[in-house]
Amino acid sequence: MRHRRSARAGDVTGGAIHELGVCDSSCWWDRVCVIYHAFSQKEAKELDVQHPGTQRAEAFVRAFLKRSMPRMSQQAQEDHLQRKAVVLEYFTHRKRKEKKKKSKGLSAKQRRELRLFDIKPEQQRYSLFLPLHELWKQYIRDLCNGLKPDTQPQMIQAKLLKADLHGAIVSVTKSKCPSYVGVTGILLQETKHVFKIITKEDRLKVIPKLNCVFTVEVDGFVSYIYGSKFQLRSSERSAKKFKAKGTIDL
Amino acid sequence: MKTGPYYFVKDLPLHELITHEFINTFVKKGSCYALTYNTNIDEDNTVALLPNGKLILSLDKDTYEETGLQGRPSQYSGRKVMKFIVSIDLMDLASNLDSKKYGRVSWSFKEKKPLKFDFLLAWHQTGAEESVMMSHFSDYGIQERQPDVVLGMVAELRCPVLRSGQLGGEPGAACGARELLDWLGAVFSHTELNNEPNNFISTYCCPQPSTVVAKAYLCTITGFILPEKIHLLLEQLRHYFDEPKLASWVTLSVQGFADSPVSWRENEHSFGKGGEHLYNFVIFSNQDYWLQMAVGADDDCPP
Repeated sequence: MRHRRSARAGDVTGGAIHELGVCDSSCWWDRVCVIYHAFSQKEAKELDVQHPGTQRAEAFVRAFLKRSMPRMSQQAQEDHLQRKAVVLEYFTHRKRKEKKKKSKGLSAKQRRELRLFDIKPEQQRYSLFLPLHELWKQYIRDLCNGLKPDTQPQMIQAKLLKADLHGAIVSVTKSKCPSYVGVTGILLQETKHVFKIITKEDRLKVIPKLNCVFTVEVDGFVSYIYGSKFQLRSSERSAKKFKAKGTIDL
Repeated sequence: MKTGPYYFVKDLPLHELITHEFINTFVKKGSCYALTYNTNIDEDNTVALLPNGKLILSLDKDTYEETGLQGRPSQYSGRKVMKFIVSIDLMDLASNLDSKKYGRVSWSFKEKKPLKFDFLLAWHQTGAEESVMMSHFSDYGIQERQPDVVLGMVAELRCPVLRSGQLGGEPGAACGARELLDWLGAVFSHTELNNEPNNFISTYCCPQPSTVVAKAYLCTITGFILPEKIHLLLEQLRHYFDEPKLASWVTLSVQGFADSPVSWRENEHSFGKGGEHLYNFVIFSNQDYWLQMAVGADDDCPP
């Protein structure tokens, strides 16, 4: 007689054994085939069948915890065992947004390094800039609608305040520093605080505007520019309104 | 005794003083002195030429900023500098006429800011004729002038007693040097020295001990007088005591121009409350002398 193999939980890992056939003493075992196949996890959960090993392990752990941490309640222990997952690194590939590239422009240091505005020594010749001066004179004449001897000086002054002075012949008449007085030449560049002038001896001179009085002459009209009030970039000056104050002392 | 002529020129432009001929003829030979006339040292531009060849310009702020010559601010300006001193060495300029310095000074005086002044000029040279200066500046209307000499007499003048050895004075026996200077000032301004209580002008009293002198002579010379002439005067005064005299001492007092830009040895001089700078010699009968120097508020101490 063959023994009936009962389904004993714990013998076969991963599942329980269906026993489909029952053999009686009449050696029916030979005719009944027992189909063993493992439960899947899902079926085990549905049928609430647990592996005997796991049951034994769980019971052991519980008892151990209770013994080592007697103060802790059962509930707290259960909570601890139910660990919550902590995500340490989150790897997702976010779609990279197109960063709007703001053109910051160059700082003054970078501009100086770029040397965009430097005039090379070969080009520093006074005679090269004389046609520029002629152009400027023409521009001023057009601006003031012709410089007749009877035009009002105030109108010329007002126009000159807003005009661009590149190419004019300027000379320093008064200055707090005596060595600047008398420097005459064609204005090449105008920055916020400084005039760059090329003199007849082909020397590039940099004259600060502060505390200086410059003379600009057009066709017999002589204007005095007080440099301390002129500390603006030429582009900004066209938009600025100048107030008439009393006498200006250097 | 001749105290020498001095010359007065109207509207002389400044660049005439730096011409080669002027420097060679006058500055290098002998000693040449020049001072602007009728300009106030604290308001206007003032120019002085010293015998060592230095041309000193004392300019106000606007003029200084326009001439473009290198100078320094005046020592006696307050918080806001109003006056600048420019010093040009003519001997140095004349040594090299093509130098940039000469070019710049000449450009500044001729084109940039031509300045014109009325000048008082004087020139001393041993053994030269006096008319050289006249002919040099003949285009500018130069006039020759002599210093004014005024001789006055004061009768019954109370004078302090002085002893040559004791500068500080001895109470009861002699007066000190400071009291003498006060007394001299009172005499020069012709005040009465008898301390009348109803005298409105002055209550000054002659320092004691004093004596009364029957006659005292007061001689005043006004003009642009050269130090060489003063030296001659001093010599003559020393010879006053060659014969025995009643007086025991004589004084020689020299007052500098209140509007001069320089005091002793190129120290800067400014007007302050009264631009005095003066020195006083007291000559005793035994050929001792006292020298007193006094300056005003806006001056450096005398050497």
